[in-house]
Amino acid sequence: MSDFLHIKISRLFYQDKHLVSDIDLEVQKGERILIVGATGTGKSSLLNTLNLMNQNYNGEILFESKAITQYHPHVLRSRIVMVMQEPWLGEGTVQDVLDEALAYHAIKHKDLSDRDRQIRGLMKSFQLSEDYLSKKADQLSGGEKQRIALIRVLQLRPEILLLDEISSALDQKTSGIISDCIFQNFPGTVIAISHDPLWHDRWQRSWIISDGIIKDNREAK
Amino acid sequence: MDISYYGLLYALLLLLIPIAIFIQLRLKLIKQLSISFSRMIVQLAIIGLWLQFLLDQDQIALTLIWVAVMLSNAVFTLRGRLKIKRKILLPILFAALGASTLVIMPWILFVVIRPEPLLSAKFVIPIYGMVLGNSMNSCALALERFESNLSDNWKAYYTRLSLGASLWEAALPTFRKAIHASLLPQLLTIASMGVVSLPGMMTGQILGGSSALVAIKYQMMVMAAIFSAVTLADFLAIRLYLARRFDKYYLPLAGIK
Repeated sequence: MSDFLHIKISRLFYQDKHLVSDIDLEVQKGERILIVGATGTGKSSLLNTLNLMNQNYNGEILFESKAITQYHPHVLRSRIVMVMQEPWLGEGTVQDVLDEALAYHAIKHKDLSDRDRQIRGLMKSFQLSEDYLSKKADQLSGGEKQRIALIRVLQLRPEILLLDEISSALDQKTSGIISDCIFQNFPGTVIAISHDPLWHDRWQRSWIISDGIIKDNREAK
Repeated sequence: MDISYYGLLYALLLLLIPIAIFIQLRLKLIKQLSISFSRMIVQLAIIGLWLQFLLDQDQIALTLIWVAVMLSNAVFTLRGRLKIKRKILLPILFAALGASTLVIMPWILFVVIRPEPLLSAKFVIPIYGMVLGNSMNSCALALERFESNLSDNWKAYYTRLSLGASLWEAALPTFRKAIHASLLPQLLTIASMGVVSLPGMMTGQILGGSSALVAIKYQMMVMAAIFSAVTLADFLAIRLYLARRFDKYYLPLAGIK
């Protein structure tokens, strides 16, 4: 009976290749879901359907009982936000990077009165000192970049966070910091793809894709 | 002062210098030189006779038809020159080059020069030629830059989209760079005018017997017309291209060769 997010996809493709059939999954607000499966099974393709980055499927996805295709793409993408495997931050300082994301049209109406405090809090929990705000974004290490990319997204207070292998290029320690932070700081729904075993034992639910079908496993730890 | 046909022949004799140098270097450019100069002579002779005919007739309908021919010519030349191959390009280029000249030319004719008659071929054709030629070159550069910049920065584009940017917001940095790349060289040329080089039109006018003071006024006017037309054409071309380059979810449409 969930009317938060309902994914009904009869056939999911990558280009011409048919990947997964008969997906019918309901997601509750605040759920933490991990998508598992071998390379090329369609994990990313599935994740990308949720923020309108992939239309290569037959079916329908409902967000708050309304088809996602009925939303303005930029409005939907500011509520269902994706973090990618290798973050792109652009030029300028970390502060510029954070400000740029905030300037986008669909975010403008949100209440930003305690933004500085929020950013400082996020920086602290991601174990980055405030000095980082004035550093050049392109001079950061991979792990630092990924943490800034997450802070950039969390400041937008999305309702659903989509994470596409965000820790695959990071060491165990950084990967651990990142996953702790997400669990502590983000109250919303998270749907993530990860190969990191460290991540695997903290999710309430997992979707396992193999042989063209998806298994909904609620018994995850 | 007119040049006699013998005089012109003597001018062409100057080409013996490059020919001698080519021979000395065993540079295989003599054939190309003869082709290039023969083509130039034939083409200019035809266009000269035709322009003389247009100027002598000085009929509004004829002038306007010729303006339309010039515009179509510019659009097809531009399309042929672009590496971007898309069906949607033709109407975009017509709109971009057409709109910019539709705005600039009436202003120049009806407000600035006010010749008698207003659509006098003597003014319309040469000025339109300069405005159009420059717009065409600039549009080619701006569109190519936009497309190549976009292809080099897909990750930035997708990141902006995934953060909730609209199509306009996600493409704006690329748009800005393309216009900048196309306009900056022109501004630098304008800044060096009169110091480094004397513009061709001004030189021509002075040789044709106008006073230098009249010639510089025309030059200033033409530069203002050209630069405005070029900016407008670049902007419209990319703006219209942008709307056709992406689908309703702001994702790129396939179809580039």
